[in-house]
Amino acid sequence: MSVQIPDPILDGLQRGWKVHGGPHAALPATLDCDVAVIGSGAGAGITAEMLARAGLKIVIVEEGPLRSSSQFRQRELDAYGELYQEAGGRKTVDQVMNILQGRCVGGSTTVNWTGSFRTPPDALAFWGERFGLSEFSEAAMAPWFEQVERRLNIGDWLTEPNENNDVLRRGAEKLGIPTKVVPRNVKGCWNLGSCGMGCPTNAKQSMLVSTLPVALDLGATLLVQTRAARFELQGDKVTALVAEPVALDGAVSGAPLRITAKHYVVAGGAINSPALLLRSGAPDPHGLLGRRTFLHPTAGGVALFDHDVAGWAGAPLSVFCDHFLHTGPIDGPVGYKLEVAPVQPGFALTNGGGIGADLVERARDLPRTQLMIALLRDGFHADAAGGAVKLRSDGSPVLDYALSDYLLDGVRRAYATMAEIQFAAGASAVRPVHEQAANYTTWAQARAGIAGLSMKPFLATVGSAHVMGGCTMAADAGRGVVRPDGRHWQLANLSVHDGSLFPTSLGANPQLTVYGLATRLSSGLIQHLGGKATILA
Amino acid sequence: MQRRRLLKLGVGAAVVLGVAGAGVALIKPGLVDGRLGPGSRELMGAVAQAVLGELLPAAGVPAQLDRLDATIAGLPVPTRKELSDALGLLGTAAGRYALVGLSKPWREAGAADIRQALDAMRLSTSNTRQQVYHALRDLNVLAFFTAPANWQAAGYPGQREVA
Repeated sequence: MSVQIPDPILDGLQRGWKVHGGPHAALPATLDCDVAVIGSGAGAGITAEMLARAGLKIVIVEEGPLRSSSQFRQRELDAYGELYQEAGGRKTVDQVMNILQGRCVGGSTTVNWTGSFRTPPDALAFWGERFGLSEFSEAAMAPWFEQVERRLNIGDWLTEPNENNDVLRRGAEKLGIPTKVVPRNVKGCWNLGSCGMGCPTNAKQSMLVSTLPVALDLGATLLVQTRAARFELQGDKVTALVAEPVALDGAVSGAPLRITAKHYVVAGGAINSPALLLRSGAPDPHGLLGRRTFLHPTAGGVALFDHDVAGWAGAPLSVFCDHFLHTGPIDGPVGYKLEVAPVQPGFALTNGGGIGADLVERARDLPRTQLMIALLRDGFHADAAGGAVKLRSDGSPVLDYALSDYLLDGVRRAYATMAEIQFAAGASAVRPVHEQAANYTTWAQARAGIAGLSMKPFLATVGSAHVMGGCTMAADAGRGVVRPDGRHWQLANLSVHDGSLFPTSLGANPQLTVYGLATRLSSGLIQHLGGKATILA
Repeated sequence: MQRRRLLKLGVGAAVVLGVAGAGVALIKPGLVDGRLGPGSRELMGAVAQAVLGELLPAAGVPAQLDRLDATIAGLPVPTRKELSDALGLLGTAAGRYALVGLSKPWREAGAADIRQALDAMRLSTSNTRQQVYHALRDLNVLAFFTAPANWQAAGYPGQREVA
């Protein structure tokens, strides 16, 4: 039976949403509003809905295109080119780590795998101790998370996990290691497995289909394929945002426009948000801007089974294990969260290494391949103090992040953990995603092989899909770029509402933390601007 | 007299390479109007066959080069510029030898020679050679396996029907 899936974005455009840029209405030369929101991802989306509901006139500025369910064809080729930063090829400056980050309306929420975790209490406690954020305790944040969870239908995924995820559950259980079900922000999920390419059924409650449509229905203006180039500053105030139209490849495609507002909310995501402030020459008296940018450096472990895993089918992320975040002190040897990654052929084979006969074999084995990942919790130790956002000569940002020996020690331990779990789940062979690794057919062989690997950047394949920090929030100007209410320490009418606020990484997928913080900070901002008190849900 | 020039590869590397005399000024850009130029087509065709092995028979090379052109067209402008510089450099004998370790010209080297050179780069302790390896290898693998025509080689059934 054929089912026609509604496209809420096309419907909204037909209703007369104010969308400019790219193929939509022409960009005006000037715009004036109460609040200009830069970005349209997790922080921006929540902020946009709340400010619009508070009766404030807002303009949302998004660098990427507006794409929606009828255009999400579950194809990697389309998705990377249109929905990701730098066509999916964003990298650290030394090219060691690939960084997956959204660049489209909805930002990374349009392409993430729906994992929705509250901020781990130990991370919040660390923020309290080291950055003076004592008002951000687990109990203080709970009501904000509750609002978001209601608004975005976040709950445990109760459908059976796909085999890719079940390997983690089953193997860990055999070893007596606890796992849990991933809470997801979905409504009527079809269990397709294409979350990373944009949800074709609108089940994922991304900003694209949840908060942004509410803001647009309330009269917000959305500028797409429009890059926030720089702020104009005067004293301790932002006087305007200069933006420029850009083509899909990022090339400037027309004359700049000038947006004036009473207040400006920067929420372009980590890397891009500090870069905008760097381009603008924002005051940075303590040299903190762009620093402490974290990645959850992520290592992979492949396992082969004697049956089909079909790791591309079904909810890509539904089981996780936090055991190895809690085997030592938070500032001891680096801990890691275990998850799995979907096995679409472009992603899995590009990142999985190999040339010639090895690559042919890895392709042939793909249907029976399971892919486990370990996300390292950076930011809690002096040898994992994060990277620094820098600007290229054309003003585009790049992250300078060193994969330290401390982190690589964690990668080696994670290889062993993943291999042991995979064998316990019945794998016939395992292979850490490392250029020197072979297919190991027994746990003893794997343990010895992993111990002998040379742990160096490039040899160990490490990537990231979580970028955090760079505009650290802290209780005093000496430790942070923004105040605990999200407002900039030196610029009175500028706030930051995205993952760049985090003083450390989290040890959990970041979207719900961004949502929760944005809800809380927006509530305060509305009060500050004299808007109508609003709750998200 | 040696001149040192810094090259940045978008999907690859920051390359500092000594190039004799004014030779560096004569390097042709690897991309022409955003597409692989003649020298780069020869280079990438040879690399593609080495990387993809039996998945890419000689008759399939033109299609792979077209896929690479399409993939490259989607890259950001600065990345394309860096890639163009890198491919230009790899198109010279000095660049090819210094970065890839390949003494024969691309069109004369067989897939086995190139694969051996790539394998040495893959395990190299030089960041520069690693960067070049990943630029060449990853672009080819991504372009190949994101093409529906090649999904069968990975047993991937393609997208699920939703409407």
